[in-house]
Amino acid sequence: MRPILLQGHERSLTQIKFSHDGDLIFSTAKDQVACVWFYANGERLGTYHGHQGALWTVDVDATTTLLATGAADNTARLWDVKSGKCLKTWEFPTAVKRVEFSDDGTQLLAVTEKRMGYLGTIAVFDIKVDVEAEQSDTPRMTITCEESKATVAGWSYLGKYIIAGHEDGSISQYDSKTGEQLLNVLVHESDMQVNDLQWAPDRTYFISASKDKTAKLISARDLQILKTYPTDTPLNSACITPKKDFVILGGGQAAMDVTTTSSRQGKFEARFYHKVFEDEIGRVRGHFGPLNTVAVHPKGQGYASGGEDGYVRVHHFDKPYFDFMYEVEREHARR
Amino acid sequence: MSKNINRADWADDEEFDDPSVLPPQQITTNKDGTKTIVTYRYNDDGKKVKTTRRIKTVVIKERVNPRVAERKGWAKFGLEKGHAAGPSLDTTSVGENIIFRPSINWKANAKEEKLDKNSVKEQLKDKKVKCRICSGDHFTARCPFKDTMAPMDEAGGAGDLGSGGEGPEPAGGLSGAGGSYVPPHLRRGGAATGDRMGGKFERDDLATLRVTNVSEFAEEQELRDMFERFGRVTRVFLAKDRETGRAKGFAFISFADRTDAARACEKMDGFGYGHLILRVEFAKRSQ
Repeated sequence: MRPILLQGHERSLTQIKFSHDGDLIFSTAKDQVACVWFYANGERLGTYHGHQGALWTVDVDATTTLLATGAADNTARLWDVKSGKCLKTWEFPTAVKRVEFSDDGTQLLAVTEKRMGYLGTIAVFDIKVDVEAEQSDTPRMTITCEESKATVAGWSYLGKYIIAGHEDGSISQYDSKTGEQLLNVLVHESDMQVNDLQWAPDRTYFISASKDKTAKLISARDLQILKTYPTDTPLNSACITPKKDFVILGGGQAAMDVTTTSSRQGKFEARFYHKVFEDEIGRVRGHFGPLNTVAVHPKGQGYASGGEDGYVRVHHFDKPYFDFMYEVEREHARR
Repeated sequence: MSKNINRADWADDEEFDDPSVLPPQQITTNKDGTKTIVTYRYNDDGKKVKTTRRIKTVVIKERVNPRVAERKGWAKFGLEKGHAAGPSLDTTSVGENIIFRPSINWKANAKEEKLDKNSVKEQLKDKKVKCRICSGDHFTARCPFKDTMAPMDEAGGAGDLGSGGEGPEPAGGLSGAGGSYVPPHLRRGGAATGDRMGGKFERDDLATLRVTNVSEFAEEQELRDMFERFGRVTRVFLAKDRETGRAKGFAFISFADRTDAARACEKMDGFGYGHLILRVEFAKRSQ
């Protein structure tokens, strides 16, 4: 497995997303520019200019027409994927930490920071998936997180629920029509922030990664914890691999401690766990800093990781990865 | 170059090479279907650089989603605007190969590997390279006196690593009285007898097994595989008939560690191999 290194960013990576077909990779970093790359050869297709602050988040709709980004300049922007043109800018009172399209691309949520007397919110916009269309100026709905601010959020299957991870380690489920909070479950240790939340391909369950050194597989319908993956380092990101039943976890010690230790001790590796058996099955080294984000190819052929070191590393899995099976799995496959 | 362009006189059309003109690109097609392209250019120091590239073209047909195919043809934008197709070197590079093999007992394997590395490192930590011929700090094979001098005899048979503490001797054969020639077997007070010439093989006598009743169809590699289970095998010698190339029926196996050898001796004695039953014992020092 020979990784491709993408050096388009000058500062640490914040999020990576694959397009729905898996051919493009979108990356954002704290250097105010979003980049789009070809997955196959690491060629950069273009950059999206306009933000005035660190970019925190990126998402692309299912048809790879529109791109949404959120930044520390208190705006979320909508872009034409093809031309790099900014189509719409939404202003918020505080920074935008997370954006995500619903699976049909007609709705967009934006998670805003709690700061300067403003509470954290989740704003939901109606989107017309068309480059030419006029997008609405105001959110259709705003959920205010009164107890603990939301750090991450996403749409469940069919856009039925909005699932949000909070700073206090809890996860809540909101009705996506009314914005009413249906459930709130403390799944991680209290006051251990949920750093990432990524979906299984069918969006019926998701994986959450937290500062409390665990990642958990949680069902979207009732927020029941299905699996737990304990590690020895705070986790920044986690994703579920299609095709093989694995999860990939990325983390490493907090950025402020990094300079005091060697990269060997820093645990800057992508960790692979078996999704069902919860065993660690391998690690992939390479980054010089903690992994801020990991994203997996939608067909499970590879993954990309972005680190505090400013690099994106794109990996194309090779044969041993696909061949690996537990004895029970092999028996099942034989039958 | 430019002066050649508007030449007026045939006399200017001379043959001699203008040193500033670069030879044209040469493309040759090789027999195996590859192409060799030779190009010339000037580097930053103004020096001529010849680049030879061998290119193999492989056509791989792949069915792709039409949407993906369309996106492949998109024009570049932003910072990449106007750049040619293909990855650019300043943003994209290829990392070193990572071997990633998922396994169930991944943790145990990783630990073992680390231990292995450590122990070898520790063993070699205080070791210096020392020439057996002249005690210089180079490998024996690199010694300038290799052809002219015989190796200095070392005290013990097995203690190769332990002998590092020995005081340096005046170089090999020159130590004799008056500097006259002393034949190798008489050096060091005649203690060494002639059969110690092959010292290299004898030093690990303590961990060497003699295996007899070996099938004549045996191979060295097979023996190595069989004995490697017990520890690191440093040498396998299978006596073969010079004319027929068949095994003569006995072999020597040297281990790095005597305890491994002892274990192998115990376990492999009486082991059925081929159609015969092996007899394994510690090799006796040849007299």
